[in-house]
Amino acid sequence: MNGRELVRFATHSALSHRLRSVLTALGIGIGVTAVVLLTSMGEGLHRYVLEQFTQFGTNIIGINPGRSTTFGASTGIFGSVRPLTIDDAEALKRVPFVLNTVPVVQGTASVEGGGRERSTNISGVGPEFQTAFDFRVALGTFLPADDPRAPRPLAVLGAKMRHELYGERSPLGELLRVGGERYRVIGVMEPKGQVLGFDLDDTVYIPAARALELYNRQGLFEIDVLYDKAVPADEVVAGIERMIIARHGGLDVTITTQQQMLDVLGSVLDIVTFAVAALGGISLLVGGVGIFTIMTIAVRERTAEIGLLRAIGAGRAQIRAIFLGESILLAGIGGAGGLLVGGLTVVLLGVAVPALPVGIALPYVVAAEAVAVLIGLAAGVVPAQRAAALDPVEALRAE
Amino acid sequence: MAMIRLEALGRTFEVGGQQVRALDQVDLTIEAGEYLSIMGPSGSGKSTLLNVLGLLDTPSVGAYWLDGVNTSTMGDDQLAATRQAQIGFVFQSFHLVPRMTAAENVELPMLLAGIGGAERRERAHRSLAGVGLADRADHRPAQLSGGERQRVAIARAIVMQPRLLLADEPTGNLDTGSGAEIVRIMETLNERGLTLIVVTHDLQIGERARRRLRLRDGRVVEDLRAAQA
Amino acid sequence: MTFGDCTRVAAGALLRYPLRTAMMLLATAIGVAAVLVLTALGEAARSFVTDEFRALGTHLLVVLPGKTETTGMGPGLMAGESPRDLTLDDARAVLRSRAVARVAPLVVGAATVSFGGLERDITVMGTTAAMVEIRQWRMATGEFLRDQDWDRASPECVLGDTLRRELFAGLQPVGHWLRVGDRRCRVAGVLAPQGMSIMANVDELVLMPVAAAQQLLNVPGLFRLLIQATGRETVAGAQRDVVRILKERHRGQEDVTVITQDAVLTTFDGIFGALTAALAGIAAVSLVVAGVLIMNVMLVAVSQRTAEIGLLKALGASRRQVTRLFLTEAMILAACGALAGLVLGYAALVLMRALYPDLAFEPPGWALAGACLVALGCGVGFGILPARRAARLDPIAALAGR
Repeated sequence: MNGRELVRFATHSALSHRLRSVLTALGIGIGVTAVVLLTSMGEGLHRYVLEQFTQFGTNIIGINPGRSTTFGASTGIFGSVRPLTIDDAEALKRVPFVLNTVPVVQGTASVEGGGRERSTNISGVGPEFQTAFDFRVALGTFLPADDPRAPRPLAVLGAKMRHELYGERSPLGELLRVGGERYRVIGVMEPKGQVLGFDLDDTVYIPAARALELYNRQGLFEIDVLYDKAVPADEVVAGIERMIIARHGGLDVTITTQQQMLDVLGSVLDIVTFAVAALGGISLLVGGVGIFTIMTIAVRERTAEIGLLRAIGAGRAQIRAIFLGESILLAGIGGAGGLLVGGLTVVLLGVAVPALPVGIALPYVVAAEAVAVLIGLAAGVVPAQRAAALDPVEALRAE
Repeated sequence: MAMIRLEALGRTFEVGGQQVRALDQVDLTIEAGEYLSIMGPSGSGKSTLLNVLGLLDTPSVGAYWLDGVNTSTMGDDQLAATRQAQIGFVFQSFHLVPRMTAAENVELPMLLAGIGGAERRERAHRSLAGVGLADRADHRPAQLSGGERQRVAIARAIVMQPRLLLADEPTGNLDTGSGAEIVRIMETLNERGLTLIVVTHDLQIGERARRRLRLRDGRVVEDLRAAQA
Repeated sequence: MTFGDCTRVAAGALLRYPLRTAMMLLATAIGVAAVLVLTALGEAARSFVTDEFRALGTHLLVVLPGKTETTGMGPGLMAGESPRDLTLDDARAVLRSRAVARVAPLVVGAATVSFGGLERDITVMGTTAAMVEIRQWRMATGEFLRDQDWDRASPECVLGDTLRRELFAGLQPVGHWLRVGDRRCRVAGVLAPQGMSIMANVDELVLMPVAAAQQLLNVPGLFRLLIQATGRETVAGAQRDVVRILKERHRGQEDVTVITQDAVLTTFDGIFGALTAALAGIAAVSLVVAGVLIMNVMLVAVSQRTAEIGLLKALGASRRQVTRLFLTEAMILAACGALAGLVLGYAALVLMRALYPDLAFEPPGWALAGACLVALGCGVGFGILPARRAARLDPIAALAGR
């Protein structure tokens, strides 16, 4: 019997017990559906998080004051013996391959404008912020390239702040009080939406040096360095380290490349996806028990048929192949059905709930089907072996 | 009142799109305590008649009065209950449940009737003793000979003290000696008042009955009563 | 037919095919065990996190400088920068509330600490004597920071356990002088190892008087206020008082955010509760698969036992009785499977507890009950089709084995 005839034979005997075969395949199908759905969600989450991180570009290096990483991130932003200054940010622009540096100070303050008052997030940044992070201005301009040590009191509103304070009116040229200080609004940003739960539109951008004054701080929270994509991050980091050591007399900052962050996040999210795949795999295992049970029953029921096949010249290997083939076929078809249902559900979910991040994790989809077939193989071995081992004379007498 | 009265009873089956008349215009009256054999060639409708009489099958046309009640008015549950209380079956292939002992097989109808365990065991034992198998109570069917199996089946059929015993080729799977023994047991039961109806091909057995029915093509073609009846 | 009889007959039928019965039990057991183990994992994670939060102290409130009206927690708020700093005077003022038992002002920052040629980059925390009582820290040796005027920047410090090991290997640190940034301070005591905490790894901290830390880090304000209310029922009152007092002091502006420990606990509880429920749901899918298997095998059983069903009917079994018989079989399978699953699951939990003795692996009651109920439900639900099929069999055909 060649491969094709074997498949035909297996298909035929599977079809002769239609309901039973469907139910057996269904067991595997549910398992595969679970794996496909769960990994799609894992993959969706993965893509979503990475997208959120990479929307600002991957060629960014963050520098935070202080070296301790006890709190997960450096605690230096809360205070450090040696602060990071705006001069540091300016000096870092001279490091080879550095395209731009952005000083960052963050906090909250009460903001008055358009006759209203709001407590909101304040971002003290440099004029390079807009280009470095690819934020677009909807109205007016972003902060201009003033003297970074003594910038004019100008402010740019996030989309939500503009709406909260001025409604549909253009706020350009309006006076704005930030923590009591007078600023002039020169621009409004395009909506950016939420990034990892933080609403970027609920912000007022002011020059970093002004923010330091507002909060009575010595040092910046962070300096973001944008570097030439063509150059390896390590080289740029080495340059930054030399510059900091030259200026501070020691390496008292924490340097994080975007790539490192992405790698760490990526591996965490990979583990999450793997874990949910494994959870879905429990159902596959139960489905495998189902195939084993049904194949065992089939061998017992078809003892006479096996005897007949042996009598007309089938070898043990052929009997084994018939039952193994049937088992694999059931698992394979069940798995394919599961892929179809799971895939369709994912697509439908994507259409029905666009906000839900889902994405088919192709390697897992392939793996799920492969595992399904393997389960069919594994579950079929013992019954097939039993069928092959039947004594033909005894088997024929079974009728 | 007659125990059983069939009026213009017919039973048609559909086989491969064709109507087959298994029973056709059967009129029959059977009194309580009668001993009746039904004979006829294969396909003459003997088994169908027995199934109808045993309330396993329902007639397509006509009426079947059992103890004055028209059975076509009974629902499934009522039919089941009537079978349980009034009718005992003996089959050619015994139909013992292989995983149960002889006693458990005899207990089965009482189990369905919800009779308590102690009474069940006691009655099953008596019934088995009645067919001479008191010492075989704990054997499984596989450990019994053909004749013994059929005796267990009879013990089971009568344990609910039915009024009607229906036997479908009861000796068909048995050797002559065992067959004769089975017939003797059933006749003894009949002598004690049980109505006995036996379907058989075996002329020797069929002719022992006091009343002999012969069927052909679904019709009763002969209804003989033995002289001494 | 009585319930006991029904069960006995059904069990007898199941025992005749030990292998397939065992397989159905195994399938159900895997599902139940999966629910048990996964929910126990979720619960362990939940209790780990909430215990960590409880370990921070009791009836706690945290005051952060700054406030945003629209976003809730934003990057600006996390940074804790606000035009008006929280001051030591603010901290003192908060004590006016009768609902407040203790206040510990906090300043946090990065610094380099050195001793005997060894240097470490560490986190400095400036606080007061109240901190040790609020956090219920234990001392390994020496004393905690003295209870003194908060404005006094006395040159003393307390070390975490890791720092003691790294800087004073084998040496008794109390009484030695450390250099922290550009200041010197005398080691007053060493904290007993506290292990990992959610807020910070206490073992790696250097604690100093709050005024000293402010000078060292050159920060005028405070990073947080840690407040302990007098009791569980006064937490809400304390929150109101703190907001009111600080608003008064900040010229009528409400520019602080007050978070209660209970609120955070509730949030975490909710998140982990949802996680556990999701895990239970995923595991329950395998119970459905087990149910499909039960249905399948029961269908096979019905076709194999056709003659027996025919006999039962001839003996006067009603449809209902036949249905009940097969449903009982399915129920027995599901119930025994669930039981086996509980045994399997608990065995796995014993193993997990042995491997990770620090975590409390305990499946929640609802998961236990839910897993068993779903297993039974699947058994009955998937048993209905085969049972009905058995009940509907035509007795004549069934007797003939057709």
